[in-house]
Amino acid sequence: MNFKIRAAKKDDSKDISRLIMELAVYEKMPDRVMISYKELERDGFSSNPFFQCLVAEVPEENKSKEGHTIVGYALYFYTYSTWKGPSVFLEDLYVMPDFRGQGIGKSLMSKVAQVGKEKQCVRLQLLMRDWNTPSLDFYVAKGAQDLTASEGWHFLRFDGEALDKLANEASID
Amino acid sequence: MDFSIRAANLDDCKDIARMITVSRHVCACSRAHLEQDGFSKNPFFHGIIAEVPEQHRTKEGHTKIGYALYFYTYSSWKGRAVYMEDLYVMPEFRGKGIGKALMSKVAQLGLAAGCNQLDFTVLEWNKSSLDFYLSQGCFDVTADLGYHCMRCEGEALQHLAQP
Repeated sequence: MNFKIRAAKKDDSKDISRLIMELAVYEKMPDRVMISYKELERDGFSSNPFFQCLVAEVPEENKSKEGHTIVGYALYFYTYSTWKGPSVFLEDLYVMPDFRGQGIGKSLMSKVAQVGKEKQCVRLQLLMRDWNTPSLDFYVAKGAQDLTASEGWHFLRFDGEALDKLANEASID
Repeated sequence: MDFSIRAANLDDCKDIARMITVSRHVCACSRAHLEQDGFSKNPFFHGIIAEVPEQHRTKEGHTKIGYALYFYTYSSWKGRAVYMEDLYVMPEFRGKGIGKALMSKVAQLGLAAGCNQLDFTVLEWNKSSLDFYLSQGCFDVTADLGYHCMRCEGEALQHLAQP
């Protein structure tokens, strides 16, 4: 099947939002999605965006049964390691089930790695649910290391009230 | 002890590099890279510095005795987020609330920028740090939700970047 990978445009935000929700359903957490296409438009397509996005598009004749031609996406942003320098973090990678097995996921991921390389990034990082064996196997087969398993890294988070409380304890400038 | 927290500037890179090198017992961290990566038009990170007055300077004469480095990230579920890459206070200045003050400042700056999450990573054997952070109200995304940190680098990354 023919497909192309291209940089997302602001107009793609509704499709990206649709696919984000599909991914959240797959991860068994649809009620955790709090943002809509409007936040994506605001945060991804300004002069100083919080994220970058690639979409996978198929021609009209291969559109999904609901009529969509945007069938996959990769959402990523640049991070920094004081050990190694600029890195890229792959926040989301998703291809609609009917379009899997055609190399679209691999193409999206390669494009993110390529774009990162052009920006002198030395690492590509992501978070993966431990029960998600098909995806874990996919990434490990591509050469990813599981740093939680091998080195004991844990990802910690402040949000909600705990974040507000922490911030309130800061000095005011 | 009196201390102040302020935004890092280009001149602070020398001290940040010093503290990174000392804290990790590795070969010197490059000050030039920090200057280029943190203080250009589109910086990869931002920094804050903890400073003490002259009368409390270290025996080597340093008044910049702690720092935090952070950058903005994104959650496709929650929106804007901030990631704290480094948090460090020189050993002789610990136990005075400086680390906590640095972390609070990152949280404050993150909220001001519209962020809903402050994320960072800790090694599971580092019990004292883990306990400190959990006592401050954060939760362990790895332990609670089963998220693993994955990384591709070196040859694997080169290979991945091939179309």
